[in-house]
Amino acid sequence: MSAIIRPAGALKSYIAGENEIEVDSGQTLKQALGILGIPSEIVALVIVNEEQQPKDYLLQEGDVVKLIAVIGGG
Amino acid sequence: MNGYGGSILRVDLTSGKITKEPTPPKVARDYIGGRGFGAYFLFKEVPQDADPLGPQNKLIISSGPLSGMMIPGAGKCDFTTKSPLTGGYASASLGGHFTAEMKYTGLDSIILEGISPKPVYLFIDDDKVELRDASAMWGKGTLTLEKELKGKFGEEFQVALIGPGGENGVAYASINHDYGRQAGRGGVGTVMGVKKVKAIVLRGTKSVPVADPEGYRKAGMALFKVCKDATGLKEWQTYGTTIVTSWCDEVGALPTRNFSAGSFEGGKNIYGPVMRKEIVITDKGCFGCPSPCGKYSHMKRYNTNVEGPEYETIGMMGSNLGIGDIQDVAQANLLCDELGVDTISTGSAIGWAMECYEKGILTKQDTYGLELKFGNAQAAFAMIEKIARREPGLGALLGEGVKRAAQKIGKGSEKFAIHVKGMEQSAYATHNATAMLLAYMTCDVGAHHNRAWAITYDLQVGRDQVVPEKVARVIWLQNFRPMFDVLGACRLQWVELSIDRDLYVPALEAITGVHRSWGDLEKIGERIWNLSRLYWARENEGFGRSWDMPSPRFYEEPPKTGVTAGQITRLEDVQRLLDMYYEQRGWTSEGLPTRETLQRLELAEFAA
Repeated sequence: MSAIIRPAGALKSYIAGENEIEVDSGQTLKQALGILGIPSEIVALVIVNEEQQPKDYLLQEGDVVKLIAVIGGG
Repeated sequence: MNGYGGSILRVDLTSGKITKEPTPPKVARDYIGGRGFGAYFLFKEVPQDADPLGPQNKLIISSGPLSGMMIPGAGKCDFTTKSPLTGGYASASLGGHFTAEMKYTGLDSIILEGISPKPVYLFIDDDKVELRDASAMWGKGTLTLEKELKGKFGEEFQVALIGPGGENGVAYASINHDYGRQAGRGGVGTVMGVKKVKAIVLRGTKSVPVADPEGYRKAGMALFKVCKDATGLKEWQTYGTTIVTSWCDEVGALPTRNFSAGSFEGGKNIYGPVMRKEIVITDKGCFGCPSPCGKYSHMKRYNTNVEGPEYETIGMMGSNLGIGDIQDVAQANLLCDELGVDTISTGSAIGWAMECYEKGILTKQDTYGLELKFGNAQAAFAMIEKIARREPGLGALLGEGVKRAAQKIGKGSEKFAIHVKGMEQSAYATHNATAMLLAYMTCDVGAHHNRAWAITYDLQVGRDQVVPEKVARVIWLQNFRPMFDVLGACRLQWVELSIDRDLYVPALEAITGVHRSWGDLEKIGERIWNLSRLYWARENEGFGRSWDMPSPRFYEEPPKTGVTAGQITRLEDVQRLLDMYYEQRGWTSEGLPTRETLQRLELAEFAA
């Protein structure tokens, strides 16, 4: 029972530079971010299966989650 | 010279004399181009104490070695002058297609000098350079006139022009291009206006010499490939800079009602996805852009179109004015663009006036009968027009910028005039974000965000932490990020797609034939940063530490609402930030570069 997290850009540094990581489904995205050590505050946009979702979204089996951060800024 | 057009064009507007000279190799070596050329020529050529609105001031327009090349976002043009808004250094960057076309005419810089006796436009078609009568164009809006000029000369000509704001001397008038791109900040359009130059129209067909064509092709393609493959490209393209609107609201950085708070209860209606759904028609990019952040929008309610709004305008014309309707924000954007005034400074000026009105400092007698309250979009539209026309009374006053307006009105309004060094703060609330606050305090043009965008770093380190690492981060960003404006390319591919900046190194080397690591480039960035600091000191008697202070709103008035309610940076921490900053920069306790620092940066010749 897992979901895939794909951090964009500089957020990859939180998962050792990998493109994606598997996490357990059945928890909120915020909880998963906590386990991965990604500060949820720096995530600007969450896209789950191509739909925008809030950070308290409950992860489902097979979800693909894209995380967009604003590390560099405007 | 590889990577360069090869010539500098000087236009003496007073006499009408036009001359060309070779681009000096030593200046290209030490300052590279773009913003570096601007800073160098400004310091060297504009005499001390020149009136920003007088004939001695110059408007220096420069491309860089990457401009117009096969490099992502290679469409950045720098406009440098002595600022009529701040009295110090002004450098504003313009996207679009102007700088590429300028490079193909063989020009690295265009330097406008003197003052024309009558309205003119500068026409350049490769080697043909003429000043032509613009009397019939005077008074026209930028969007209207650009269309006319494109119709007259052809789509392949690129146009940079001013609107009524620049003609009338609004201190933060913009230079516009490509129906919605601006060199917006510091009054570069004001200087063009006082020189009576309505527009520059140009076309170039020349090629640019390249040191290693095959290496250039490979390095350029490598850069485009990583952009195309980047995770997040789709979202960046979908939302552009409006990705950050909801995030700023969430973390308390969204300027709300003249920066009295950092979260806006009406914010949801101006977020990126709402904008995309409600008004965006299509995406729009600059020259060579693989990730177009521009959005072209239609406002059904007004039956109008605009490029934008991008985040800064949403912050300053939306939440900062208490306006929570994306069509209203976009319409305000359109008015500013057509009239040729900077949306950030205009939003700040109107926000300050709204607060004055709500506090009874200004009354309906002052506001032309307008109910100038937060949230009143129609009143904001009316004020934009009155500012751009410099209508006697409040319109003319706000057109001077919030610093001078507050000095004239007094009654405590100085405390909520949100600026540093006279430049209105752009759209990040910094009540509790100490790195970002320091970035605004020490920015080389006044309170602008793009030199050092450090607010995420605040969240990573701890937003109220006042530690040397934060200061070092701000300095590193200030040395590094503006180098994109020196090279003549957009930084947003690095910023948002997080592409490896080292990929630019072989591209720059193949184009220019000179190897420069990022370490070398950052040293040049540091040199330019220090040169601009010397310029401030030269032009302003008593320049020093007090000039770096932020608005008291960020150390005296914690927000009453939103996620940063009750949070504030302490004054002693503001001072500590400056102490650490000056020390790490190699500056005195008054914020001036020491002799040793100037020698290290090969700037001794500029010392007083």
